[in-house]
Amino acid sequence: MMFVLRMAVRETRSSWRRLLFFFICIAIGVAAIVALRSVIQSVRGVFGAEAKSLIAADVLIGTSRDWTAEARQTIERRLSDAGGAERTETIETPTMVRPADRSRPVAKMAELRAVQKAFPLYGRVDLQGGQPYTHALVEGHGALVRPELLTSIGVSVGDQIAIGQATFTIRGLVTKEPGRGMGEFSLGPRVIIDYDDLSSTGLLGFGSRARRMILVKMPEERVESLVLTLREDFKEEFINTRSYRSTEDQVGRDFDRAENYLSLVGLIIVILGGIAVSSVTRVFILQKIRSIAVLKCVGARSGQIIAVYVLQVMTLGLAGSLLGVGMAQGAIAAIPLALGSSTSILAQAHYGVTWSAAVQGVGIGVLVSLLFSVVPLLQVRFIKPSLLLRDEATRRRSDWTSIGVLVAVSLALVTLTAWQASSLKVGVVVCSGFAGLAVILHFAGRGLITLVAPLASSRSFPLRHAVLHLSRPGNQTRVILLAVGLGAFFIVGVRSLQASLLSEFSIQVAADAPDMFLLDIQRGQADGMRAFLGGRPHGAGEFQLIPVLRARVVGVSGRETTLEGVDEVRQKGASLGREFTITYRDHLEANERVVEGAFWSGPSPDAEVSIERVIAERSRIHVGDTMRFDILGRSISPRVTSIRDVEWREARNGGFVFVFRPGALDQAPQTSVAPLKGPASPAERARFQHDLVERFPNVSVIDFHEVLETIRDVMSKVTLAITVVGGLVLLSGVLILIGAVAMTKFQRVYEAAVFKTLGANTRTISRMLLFEYGVLGSLAGLIGSLGAIVLTWGVSRYALEIPWRVFAGEHIAGVVLTAVLVASIGVASSLDVLRSKPLATLRAE
Amino acid sequence: MIELREVSKTVMSGSEPLTILHPMSLEIPHGRFVAIVGPSGSGKSTLLGLIAGLDAPSSGEVLIDGVDITRLDEDALARLRGEKIGFVFQFFHLIPSLTAYENVAVPMEIAGAADARTRAEMLLEEVSLTGRAHHYPSQLSGGEQQRVALARALANDPSIVLADEPTGNLDSANGRHIMELLRKVHGSRGTTVVLVTHDAELAAMADARLVLRDGRVVENTLEHTLGLRPIDRLGVVPGGVEGRQGHGEQPEGPLVLSSSKKEPTR
Repeated sequence: MMFVLRMAVRETRSSWRRLLFFFICIAIGVAAIVALRSVIQSVRGVFGAEAKSLIAADVLIGTSRDWTAEARQTIERRLSDAGGAERTETIETPTMVRPADRSRPVAKMAELRAVQKAFPLYGRVDLQGGQPYTHALVEGHGALVRPELLTSIGVSVGDQIAIGQATFTIRGLVTKEPGRGMGEFSLGPRVIIDYDDLSSTGLLGFGSRARRMILVKMPEERVESLVLTLREDFKEEFINTRSYRSTEDQVGRDFDRAENYLSLVGLIIVILGGIAVSSVTRVFILQKIRSIAVLKCVGARSGQIIAVYVLQVMTLGLAGSLLGVGMAQGAIAAIPLALGSSTSILAQAHYGVTWSAAVQGVGIGVLVSLLFSVVPLLQVRFIKPSLLLRDEATRRRSDWTSIGVLVAVSLALVTLTAWQASSLKVGVVVCSGFAGLAVILHFAGRGLITLVAPLASSRSFPLRHAVLHLSRPGNQTRVILLAVGLGAFFIVGVRSLQASLLSEFSIQVAADAPDMFLLDIQRGQADGMRAFLGGRPHGAGEFQLIPVLRARVVGVSGRETTLEGVDEVRQKGASLGREFTITYRDHLEANERVVEGAFWSGPSPDAEVSIERVIAERSRIHVGDTMRFDILGRSISPRVTSIRDVEWREARNGGFVFVFRPGALDQAPQTSVAPLKGPASPAERARFQHDLVERFPNVSVIDFHEVLETIRDVMSKVTLAITVVGGLVLLSGVLILIGAVAMTKFQRVYEAAVFKTLGANTRTISRMLLFEYGVLGSLAGLIGSLGAIVLTWGVSRYALEIPWRVFAGEHIAGVVLTAVLVASIGVASSLDVLRSKPLATLRAE
Repeated sequence: MIELREVSKTVMSGSEPLTILHPMSLEIPHGRFVAIVGPSGSGKSTLLGLIAGLDAPSSGEVLIDGVDITRLDEDALARLRGEKIGFVFQFFHLIPSLTAYENVAVPMEIAGAADARTRAEMLLEEVSLTGRAHHYPSQLSGGEQQRVALARALANDPSIVLADEPTGNLDSANGRHIMELLRKVHGSRGTTVVLVTHDAELAAMADARLVLRDGRVVENTLEHTLGLRPIDRLGVVPGGVEGRQGHGEQPEGPLVLSSSKKEPTR
């Protein structure tokens, strides 16, 4: 044992520099794992501590309809049964906000929240400048708004804004409010007003999209029973009840998922480092072959020698992992600086490396180093001491032990990944995906090397030898292609996808198609709206008024599916349970095609419905089945007479899952939506929106140009995040490249010395190196780029369902930049080769 | 006692079998200094490798102190080499990542010897390399490297030292020095030394000669010299071999190379 320890120390002392880069790869991966896990755990801690303020209550009862008298009675009864519950009500609705000053023609969609005096029951509303929140601030038509609203409609604190038919004075700026989740999708900035002032806006008219909520504060021990009772009470109604605990559980699950999936990114980098460790161990053993033979000659057993190198690998793996923890600590320490004076919930977390993350990271680093080095180390068994007597080649061999160890290592890797992702399925999928990708990149590498092989007979001496070097014994070509190629693949792939998506959205917005969407046009406003839009204000284009109703499926009786009541639809209805926006018309839109049954012509008093194909298939509803809908409290049971295929991408005039035959719904309470081509210039668009809302205060406008901006913004953040990940992978690839150059430097120095004695000058040798690494970099870039083409094709075709485009610029830039990067780093790390004096080298050899 | 019974070695040369050693039998009694001579390719090194268990014969048995080493697995062979055989190579074969001292200490560390450090220092002193103990092989001259290799071969106080052209890569002065050391080892400890060389002058220093040509023994003086004690022939008094203490004078200076005869702890 002492021998093993001593030899491991001596070997590490002599070779750590050569192996350093590979363990820095491990360090980067470990840093990614530790940092991501620690940050998420820290943020989660804040959420855990403020679980109640997430929904601002113990129990939340919500509905998107008016509270019926019966529902209120039931709630009253249950709350009094539960004893001493404190409560408050809020209403939230999206609406347009505009400056009251009519000389400023602009309007902006906002998310209005009307609150009562007791709000919030938990947490607190933070205002800019440290001003304390009191309900008095909103009483008497006061409003608290998010700071971004000020800039978007050009108002400031103290100014008046118009919401619906009422005017409010801005009395403060909200920086944080309980019950508004982090990163939740929002249609616009928050505006808080008094509950009692909401009616004056006229926004609660028919068809409004207001969400009414009752927030309850009550003794802890009665929370769950109240939730269960109310859920049972309202199981056939559209009223949801949830507790802070279910929210906490949901958030907890989301965090778990985020933590586990993000950590996989780190694990992939660690595994990439592991592949490099495996490759370098193979070369290392080849270089140590004589020393191992000597050890065997003086009495060392194979097991002892393997133990020496295993210990060495583990020592370096541990050092790399600890370095990774240090790097994570450094990165995490920078977070508060990056967040600056932000008052978001993220800024409240106390960031630091958590013990559990550090232990996991170090464990994974050491384990991956070990797992990936064991198989190549088994070759030690086949090294014969007799090679000291005569030069004999030790060929790579496999035996049942090697195969058994390989299987065990693979299983261990799957287990490790499954543990990190907390899912065996994900573990298997990620490992097989990675193995598949590695195999594809491996064969792509081989294919490309074969492709450039004819250059080995080129007339250019440096090019000829550069190509030959790519397939020399003990080369690191494939591992470099894998690592650098994977990094390039990530970066080029995500950039291409971004370009593809953005161009798709741009085309949709830029084409002569509707780019504005008017919502909540009341029946009584339809004629006025037609007249207003017909006048083409500010250059607005064609429009169409489409009647819409909000409906829920409450039953199905059909050949395959029978659902009775809301509860069954929710539980078994395969996505039928949500609220749908429906319409009626007597024609198919250009993006629709009947695939089963026949579409009606003309109105009929008998209710008939046409269903979109995907939901029909998912819910197993067929032509001839009868469905039951609840449309604002009224029940209607149409027969399914056709199934439609809807091209959602082309749904410029709104896509509908359920289209009814005109007749049955004509007199039902309804509103209209109007897709239209808005004015061209931003100023005209702002003026158009303002004039429209001025005339129809309850109408909301969704501007696709603004949506596009938001999408662009979100996508650039996502792209940046994935590019950083790709950058880390590429960095690992570069480190592996530097390490590979360091590993094979002795061989290169010797070859250069021979070439120099044969008359090659430094320029020739530099060109040789430049060609070698240039070819290697081009191949890696090409592999990444080809992979990215396949990725964008797959994602465009199957996930996003958008036309597949190849962005030549992204791909060419990818290949060229990778080639330049690899060539410069390859040559820069080979400076010793150029500088070494041939005689000294040959003598040493 | 080294004993070879009908030992042969055949390897594949391309697709053709090539016999390097034809079946041969011989005995080298304990304490002999035998030179194996012959031209290049005659099978000298192969024979030495078979005796050391570095290679397996194609047929026959190799017995070291009565144990048939052809039946041992790799690990048992390694253990046997560690205990009984020291090897000196033409190209030194020191481990480049270890210092001179560490190279000498390694066999003892493998064997689990408790006094590895002291003994390694002593052995280096005996080959006059105390001052170079912490130098790496690349910092030593060829002669110095071979002396380190010899000290390493003696680390576990083996009963057999096998030397494969130990002077082949050295100038004549260094070559002479190494031969003197080998003679001292043999003389002072009664170690069996088997030396492969194609230098007739060096071969003459041995007490018996085995001449190989094309894988066959063409001359074997072992039989003629049987019974003649090596010390009588070499004129060197044994120093540390049990039962031979006191037969004459101890050589002076650093070339003592005495045996510690301590059992390694395992």
